[in-house]
Amino acid sequence: MRKISSVPAAAQSEKLPEIRIPLLLFFTGLLISCILMSLPLYRFQAAVYTKKSSNTFVGDEKYVEVLAEVEEEAQRFRDQGMDVKIQETVTERVNSKGETTSLITFTINQEYEKNVWSFLTSKLASSLIAKIMAACMLLSVLCLAAGCAGSLQIPLRKLSAGKKTLRSLSALFLLADLILVPVFILCNNVIFWRRLRLFQDGQLENGREAFFAALDDFLFDGKMGSQIESALKSLSAHHSALLWVLALCFFLAMLGAVQLRFGTVKNTLLRGLLYAFIAVVCVITLYPYYVMLVTAFRSNAETLDMYFLHLLPTRWLWSNLKDIVSRGVPRYLMNSFLIAGGATLLAMLCGIPAAFAMARMNFRGKKFFLGFVIVSQMFSPVVLLIGIAQLMNTLHLNDTLWGLVFINAAFNQAFAVWLLRGTFVAISPEMEQAAKIDGCSTMQSLIRILLPMAAPGIVTTLIFVFINAWNEYTISTVLISTAQNRPITVGITQFSSFNMIEWQYLFAASLLATIPVVILFMMIEKHLTSGLTSGGVKG
Amino acid sequence: MNPLPKRKPNWRPYLWLLPSILLISVFVIFPILIVFRLSFSEISKAGVVGGFIGFQNYIDAVNLPAFPTVMMNTFWWVLSVVGLSTLLGFIIALVLNQKFRGRKIARSILIFPWATSLVIQASVWNYIIKYEYGNLNSVLLNLGIIKEAINWRSSYQIEFVWECAVGIFVTIPFVAFCVLSGLQSIDESLYESATVDGAGFWDKLFNITVPLVRPALSVSTVLNIIYVFNSFPIVYTMTKGAPANKTDTMITYLYMLSFYDRKKGPANALSVIGFLILCLCAGIYMISVMRKEEAL
Repeated sequence: MRKISSVPAAAQSEKLPEIRIPLLLFFTGLLISCILMSLPLYRFQAAVYTKKSSNTFVGDEKYVEVLAEVEEEAQRFRDQGMDVKIQETVTERVNSKGETTSLITFTINQEYEKNVWSFLTSKLASSLIAKIMAACMLLSVLCLAAGCAGSLQIPLRKLSAGKKTLRSLSALFLLADLILVPVFILCNNVIFWRRLRLFQDGQLENGREAFFAALDDFLFDGKMGSQIESALKSLSAHHSALLWVLALCFFLAMLGAVQLRFGTVKNTLLRGLLYAFIAVVCVITLYPYYVMLVTAFRSNAETLDMYFLHLLPTRWLWSNLKDIVSRGVPRYLMNSFLIAGGATLLAMLCGIPAAFAMARMNFRGKKFFLGFVIVSQMFSPVVLLIGIAQLMNTLHLNDTLWGLVFINAAFNQAFAVWLLRGTFVAISPEMEQAAKIDGCSTMQSLIRILLPMAAPGIVTTLIFVFINAWNEYTISTVLISTAQNRPITVGITQFSSFNMIEWQYLFAASLLATIPVVILFMMIEKHLTSGLTSGGVKG
Repeated sequence: MNPLPKRKPNWRPYLWLLPSILLISVFVIFPILIVFRLSFSEISKAGVVGGFIGFQNYIDAVNLPAFPTVMMNTFWWVLSVVGLSTLLGFIIALVLNQKFRGRKIARSILIFPWATSLVIQASVWNYIIKYEYGNLNSVLLNLGIIKEAINWRSSYQIEFVWECAVGIFVTIPFVAFCVLSGLQSIDESLYESATVDGAGFWDKLFNITVPLVRPALSVSTVLNIIYVFNSFPIVYTMTKGAPANKTDTMITYLYMLSFYDRKKGPANALSVIGFLILCLCAGIYMISVMRKEEAL
């Protein structure tokens, strides 16, 4: 009770929250959206009668005759209580003799207009979305009412946590509505265009009866019965652009709710923009991975068919994985593992002593070695392809895994030394000096003291070199000619020949090649950020 | 035991460096020498190395019909990929440096393209933009955004633009993470005091963020030039330089010349030209790194 009595005093001392504008925004937004949803925004057209008349010109004798006939027909439809319109299309052609001929097509169209509410009671898939949309609107109003009840005059900072949550929820429900508008439109597009055509072309059989029954129910009140299929033949659906305005209305209402919750809209909007940006970037980044994933489990026919219906495979074909196993993929993965593992080991064996010397010892030519290392980092093996191929021939390492191990180790050496040196320098040498006084040799102090302390940096380097070697493609294509010795990056190209690409196998193998390295990379991501500018590296 | 190793003539550090030097010398320096020697030698189609022929290979290389196109392509490829990925990567890094829920997840997702083999990325995009059955058309059609399939690769110019786009896509994470590491080393108090002084968002961006991130940005840009210049799988997987080398960059052209057309002489000359261009970049990089070392 004390709390309530203290409200007017507090309200006097603090600025009262602005409530008129946000409330106005909220309710006008919702009101307009309700009105929009009641408008006949969806228009359907189906031809019930067609009459073609050749050698007819607009206004001539034959035209009048046919038109009367069509009118009569239309009247019969109108007598049945249908709303029909006559449409005529004129096609003019010049024939081989140079005479103009014309063909007039009369169609009697039946038009249906539906508003968004009418989707609610239909048995179509989009009715669920319409229902959620309506529920969200209702919940939003209820939440706002509960969140504002008796507290409109209270400064925002003094609001109870429950009221704040309710007001936030109200805004969130409207956000859901906002997102559902395009979903609703897309869902209807799929229903009235893609699905309908696929069922009529006989490309899809499952659920055909139920689908037609739902359409019959929705468009013709179930009167068509067995004729529904022919009635739908010429069905076309259009939605008014006003439907998109609905999203705008929800947005305005949401602004109102946000302002009631936070007092100001600007920060929340910026925040929302931030999340929207992140979401877009993440979606674009993940898109190729989504494609890889779903295509890897599709059947061959489905990979080559643009008109498959679902964003996911109609049936997940795990047999694709079995097929690629029999086509040598495990062998390629094994080769990649051996190459990357061997290269990593070699790079570390050579790199750790060098980095140790660079970090802990003083000697002439230190700067020179640093320069040497950096310069060697500058050259991707690609520009030296021919030289490397020649060298491998001389060393008899052509077409062997060892050759790739050496090349990958050598071209990642610079980075390994560079990053390891950074790690070692960051660790104070005091512990090692103490160990030396206790009688440890340099080697012992390195192995027993420095390496355990530098473990995170070493693991980062290790993984990075491994990933680089795993993903290497160009040198492998040049050096490896035996199928047995191919690493996975080269191995996957066997699924794409000139005239035919087996996408499902290509991507199934790619998936297997990608998952381990992506996981490894995510593990070192944190350390990479700190070591990056000092190391200066890229895969 | 020798706590002051400086006093004796000391050969031990070199012993520690030896494996590393050996590895780099044999597998990096040696091929460079081979390429140089071959570029001045006569090479038969079968690959038999003949005598010294001066600059004949270079003259042949420059006179190849596709040479101007390839050089222009390489120029545009490096410029567009490096330029746009730096710009976009910088923006994304700025956003990722904000504090928000799910930042860790967003960063993990963003690193995906960097961790994926270029040949796999290129294959996936190759599939996505196919006209007859590509996934992009399929998704857009399914969502009702377009009414008819669009031919995303109707001409080789457009295909080249797509190749650049894929190049940008896979390069952004590298730039973003380089810039991010630079951003994280900036002292928060700088922004706080700037805010007290009444600086706006743009003031802070151009007077604090950009100058302080510049070292990281310059390192990433120079490295990027080198990596993008050397990039092979994207062009090779998506078009193989077709039609008639019109979409080739220098590296893919070099590969085709050497391993398909068997013109090893000019190919080696091109290698050396590419190598010299890279040396220039390496020099710039060295100077920038050395400056940074001195600053530390």
